[in-house]
Parts: sequence; C-alpha cells; structure tokens
Amino acid sequence: MPGFASLLVASAAVRVASLNMCSDEYLLLLARPQEIASVSRLSRDPADSSLWRLGQRFPGNRGNLESALKTRPNLLITMGGGGKSTALIAGKMGLRTLDLPFPSTIQDVANGMTLVAQALGDERRALPWKARLARLQRSAPATRDAIFLGAGGNSVGVQSVEAGWMRLAGLKQRSLPGGRASLEMLATRPPAVLLRSAYRRSERSLGQTWLEHPLASPKSSKIVTVDGRPWTCAGPLMLGEVDRLRSQM
Amino acid sequence: MRLLLIFLLLVAAVGHLLLPFGPLREAQAVDPELADLILIQLRLPRTLLALGYGATLGISGAALQAMFANPLASPDISGASSGAALGAVIGGYWLGLTQPLLLAACGAAGALGILTLLIALAGRRADTTTLLLAGLALALAAGAATSLALALAPSPFAFYDAYDWLMGNFADRSLAQAAAALVPASVASILLLRRAHALDLTALGEDVAASLGIKPRRLGLEVIALSAIAVGACVSVAGAIGFVGLVAPVFGRSISRGHPGSAMVPAALIGAILLAAADLVVRSVPLDRPIPVGVVTALFGTPLFVWLVVTMRRRVTA
Amino acid sequence: MTSLVARQIGIPGRLQPADLDVQAGELVALVGPNGGGKTSLLRVLARIENASGVVAIDGEDLDLAPLSRRRRLLSFLPASRDVIWPIAPRDVIALGLDGPNPARVDELIGLLELGSLADRPVNRLSTGERARVLLARALVGNPKILLLDEPLSNLDPYWVLRILSILEIAAHSGQSVLVALHDLGQLPRFGRALLIADGQVQMDEAPASLMASERFEQVFRIQATQGGWEVRRQADPQSSP
Repeated sequence: MPGFASLLVASAAVRVASLNMCSDEYLLLLARPQEIASVSRLSRDPADSSLWRLGQRFPGNRGNLESALKTRPNLLITMGGGGKSTALIAGKMGLRTLDLPFPSTIQDVANGMTLVAQALGDERRALPWKARLARLQRSAPATRDAIFLGAGGNSVGVQSVEAGWMRLAGLKQRSLPGGRASLEMLATRPPAVLLRSAYRRSERSLGQTWLEHPLASPKSSKIVTVDGRPWTCAGPLMLGEVDRLRSQM
Repeated sequence: MRLLLIFLLLVAAVGHLLLPFGPLREAQAVDPELADLILIQLRLPRTLLALGYGATLGISGAALQAMFANPLASPDISGASSGAALGAVIGGYWLGLTQPLLLAACGAAGALGILTLLIALAGRRADTTTLLLAGLALALAAGAATSLALALAPSPFAFYDAYDWLMGNFADRSLAQAAAALVPASVASILLLRRAHALDLTALGEDVAASLGIKPRRLGLEVIALSAIAVGACVSVAGAIGFVGLVAPVFGRSISRGHPGSAMVPAALIGAILLAAADLVVRSVPLDRPIPVGVVTALFGTPLFVWLVVTMRRRVTA
Repeated sequence: MTSLVARQIGIPGRLQPADLDVQAGELVALVGPNGGGKTSLLRVLARIENASGVVAIDGEDLDLAPLSRRRRLLSFLPASRDVIWPIAPRDVIALGLDGPNPARVDELIGLLELGSLADRPVNRLSTGERARVLLARALVGNPKILLLDEPLSNLDPYWVLRILSILEIAAHSGQSVLVALHDLGQLPRFGRALLIADGQVQMDEAPASLMASERFEQVFRIQATQGGWEVRRQADPQSSP
C-alpha cells in the first residue's frame, strides 16, 4: 500500500473507473469530480442508486473494463473481482487495480473507505466518514426486535452487514428460517419494528403484491418505510440510513 | 355417487383449511383472535381459491369439450389458460395495473384472444388431431410470450415470477385477490351451468339442436366467452394450472352417463377436490423451496391424459 | 284440418322458395337426386339454417315458438348417424323428452328392439343399431311433424319394413311424416311424393303417377320396365319399355 501511495503522489492526476455499483459508492463519496472517469450504469439509475444525481454527471460503464476504456482511466476499482476480461485487459494495459472485498461487517466498510481514499492519494479523505461512524457507535441505543422486509418477504441474515447497521440504529434483526419472513409468522409473532423496503415499489412483481397482503403489515408493529437502495450494497451510504432510523425510533 | 363427491369435497375443504393444524393451535395459545386472523386472512383465501379454481376448470373444461365435440378440449390444451397468463402479465407488469378486478379482466381478454385464434386456426368442428395441434401450438406460443414479457418487464424481479404464472401458486393470496378471481368466475360458471341442457342436446349433432331451437353458433360463442372470463379471472390471481380442466370433465361424464352438458356439475366437484388435494400435497412437502401446484397436477394428470388418448385411438379403430 | 303450412321457404343457392301444405296424417316421401334439395327442404322446414319464409304448425309460427314448445311441434332426424359421446341408448332417447319419463322410453326401446343394447354406449353400436336409437329419439316426444332424412338407408330389409310400418302407424295416429328417400323401392308405400331436383320442388302428387311421369324419368335418367328399372337410353324413341 505505501508503494502505491508514493507512486500516486509522484504521478499525474488519478482517473478512476469503478465497475460495480457498490464500489461506486466509495468513489462518489471520496473522489473529486475530475478524478472520476466512469461509474457503473446502475449508479446513474434512480431506481437503483440514491446517488444517481451525482452519478449522472459521469460516463457510465457496463461493469467491465471494455466499456470503460474510452474514458481512459488509470485506476480501476472493482468489488468481488471484475471478471476475466477485465483482469486480462488491465494486465495488458498495466492499469492499477483495486479490488474491494464484499463487506461482511461494518469494519469491512470502514476499511474499504480507507483503501479507496489511499488509492486516490489522500487517506485523510476518509476521516470525516469514520468520525461519523465512531460517533454513532458510541451512542448506539438499546436494541428492539425488528425485521427488514423486502419484496416477497425476503429479509437479511442475522450476521449480515445489514443487520450490523440495524444494530447501530437500535434494531435487532430477528433470525428467520431461509432468510425469509412468512405471513403466518408476521401474524403470530409480529416484530416490534418492521422496516419495509421501498425498493422499486412502483414496479409490479408477485413479490410486491406479497407486500400488499394485509398480514404483511402487522397492526402491532411499528412500520418504517426505508429507501431500499442503500441497503443493496449496505455500504458507506448506510450512515445516513442509521441517522434516519434513529430519528424515527 | 354425487353424495360421495359432496362428502369428499367437504373433507377436502376442511382438510385444506385446517392442515397443518399445529401452527393454528400455537396461535390459539398465544391469542385466540390470532388463530382466527390466520384462518381468515391466510388460510381461507387459499382454500377458496383452490376449490373455486378447481371447480371453474371442471365446468369450463366440460363446456369446452361439449362445444368442440371433443373429449380432449380443455382450458389448457386449447391455450386459454396460457393466454390468460399472458394477458394478466401484460396488464400487471407492462400496463402497471394493480386493481385485482382489472387484472382479472386482462386475464379474460388474453384467454378470449387465444380461443378466438384457435377457432380461426382449427375451426370449431375440427378433428382431434387438428384441435390438439393448434391448441398446443397456441399454448406453447402464449407460454413463451409470457416468459418473454416477464423477462423484458420493468421490474428485475419479474423474470423469477415466471414459474408462478406458468405453473400456478396459491400461497399468500389475500381475500381481495380471491374475491377478484372467484366473483367473476362464479358468475360466468353459473351462466355456463344454465346452458347444461342445451349442451346436452349438442350431443345429437348441431342440426338436431338447431331444430329444437338452440342456436349452435351463438351457444358456441357464449361458451367461449364465459369460459374465458371464468378461467381468465382465476389465472390472473393464481397462474395457469393444467390437467384439471382436462381430467375432471372426463370423470364428470362418467357420472352424468355420458351427457356432456350435465357433466359440468360433477366435473366442478371433482375439479375442486383434485385441486385442493394437489395444493395440500404442495403444502405438505417438507422442502424450503416451493413446488408449483401445476407440477402436482401434471404428475397425476399425465398418466390419465395418456390413458385418454389410448382409449380414444381404440375407439376410433374399433 | 291442416297440420303444416309453409310459405316461401327456401335456402339461397340450394332451394328456391316454395309453398307447402301438409295435412295431419299424411305420409310424404321426398325423392330426388343427390344434392337436389331434399335435405335442404327438410332443414328449412326444421328452421335449421338461413331459414327464410314462414312455417306454421297448426297455426303456430315455428320461429316464435319457445324452446319448450318446439319439441312438441316437430322432430328432425338428420342422415348422419354420428354420436360422439358414449351415452347409453336409454339416455339418448330420453333427450327427446321434456322431462324424465322412463315408461315412454321403455316403449320406444321395445318398439325398436333395443332392449339388449339399452345400456351400451351408443358410439359402440353398429351403424344400423345407432340409426334405430336416433329414430327412437325422434319419435319419443310424439311431435306433430316428423322430418326424417333418409331414415331407411343402410338398414336390414327387416328393419326397413318395420320402420315403414312404424311410420305408417304414426301417420294414422295424426302425425305428419315427411321422409327423404333414397331407395325408390319403398316409394309405393307412401301416400304422397315430392320430386325435388335442382333446388326446386318439381312435382307433388301420388307416387304411382309420379313414377310414371316423363319428368321423373328425365330427372333420374332411368325408366320403368316390367321387372323394375333400367338405365334410360337418351335419344332413342324406338327403345322398348
């Protein structure tokens, strides 16, 4: 890592292409506009990303290096690998690559912020975000029983990073068989708090219709609608979600 | 025999409603009203749908078989069910309609469209081969079109709904959905039942029926329209389910002594029992993945279908 | 007392509009070449297709009669013997009645000697047996008018004669019976004959004079001889009868 940093300080301006909506979040939060060469198409879509207005200022790519080539990046950020063609081309072109692992804890997200800030040439850019996280962690409230509910009853795992964010907001995700809530369970043992994802709510699917069943809105639960988009990546944007949730509790 | 059927129907209905009994007992222990809530909001729509959809398939299957003068006609083989699924998918996923009754109308329109195409292709008095080929071709085409419509729909989750639409699913339907399916289906089915005697007379041939004052062409159009409405409404809520509409009328006719129109009532009872039983099987399989109801109906329907074809061949060559 | 009055009945392209009066108790034969219009006449009387004109039975307009009434007024038996559904003869016959009447059904079963076949599915019977079942259905309701299209075709001689006598009895008891005939051999048993050819009712008189007429020989291209019929020789006036 130190070698990287010195190279960057010595070189010309860095131009970054991010090939994955989740790695886009780090880039869009930390980079200056002239440093962003390309973000994935999903970050420019209002249905998928809450940063879409910001994302639309930059060219979009299809998640592979071929589609980002014309923006002439000199640094590539991916998550979970960029695919074979990407690795091949990057190797041929001698591009610097940074592959972020899928976060399984909040600490992983913090590490990701550090890594991207370093790649951009200044680790201190990540400090404000980390300070905010530390403040939230110091003031974490006592937790109540909660369930995150998406289309079709799909929820999140008890040990997942989403559940970690929920804990910061004072919500303890219940353990569900198959990671899915059933209407019967919601009726017999409703959670204290129900987080309903508004992800693509206007688009019809059987999963959306499931959410409209009367039993999917238990009367004794506090039902909070959440913007589902940051939850897809459960990354750095979740700080805002935690703040919002805390204010609603 | 009819008494036996009614008894079996009651057993199927009660069993479908109350099994598995464990969760109900637990809910009762937590709060007596809870068990009622689950029974009414969750179990009842599912049972009503299974029974009502099964009865609808029996009645419209018998009516279509009488009208086409062919024991192999049925909502699935004629393509009506697949057409209904296509109509409902386009209405729901592309036109963005959410009102269950509107979706039922889309289903009916789809079924009607396919049946019209079938008659245009095969003619109303088509022989078995022509009817089978045309109907199956249309059913396959409509099924493929439904998958395509789902794949290209705005919502990225739509594609995974294909199984439910093409093979049926009763899980987690609300009372409002059940009503949207069963109210139009009941009305259309009752109107079909009132034509039972006219359909019986078509067994003597169109000419004799016409001489007795029945208008065969108008009767045919009515049967098609009413079947499309009934089947379309059910498909729009629970997806396309095959084989019940083919098999129930066959047994219905053995109870009605061969009369095609009088077979509608016993076919309704048998269809309801079959579909409730199939859904019960689906619910009791201990997998965390759901098996679509259509798979079970295909399992018991296919051997019966094969037997039908074999006996038809034998009858023709005899 | 007239039973059937038909005015200007026809089918465009197949039967020119004609008038017809049939009294109660008449046994009428319709003869003519294939495609000449015999079946069309029966069908238009039964109001089956493109029915133009008016048909009244005992003063009642057939087109206005409700469904329940039609059965009492007329009964139509087509030439085709197909029944696709495996219905028992007993039930096929019962279709000709308004409501259940097992005694009457048994009468017809006895009359047409269907006792041993009464419960076998009708589509498994031979053509001749099926013909008897379908005739029984046409007779069971005792309608005022019987319209029968080739009821005697492909039957054993025994049944040809038996059915003819059944029809004679029906006529005697006041019904009007119109029968399209293919085999001229039975023609003499009828009281009245219509010659129908080229979509027209060409002759309407007693069978004997009809068979002896020049028009008859022209239409059928046969002529009467001592022993029966022989092919008519065309332009040979010296040909011996």
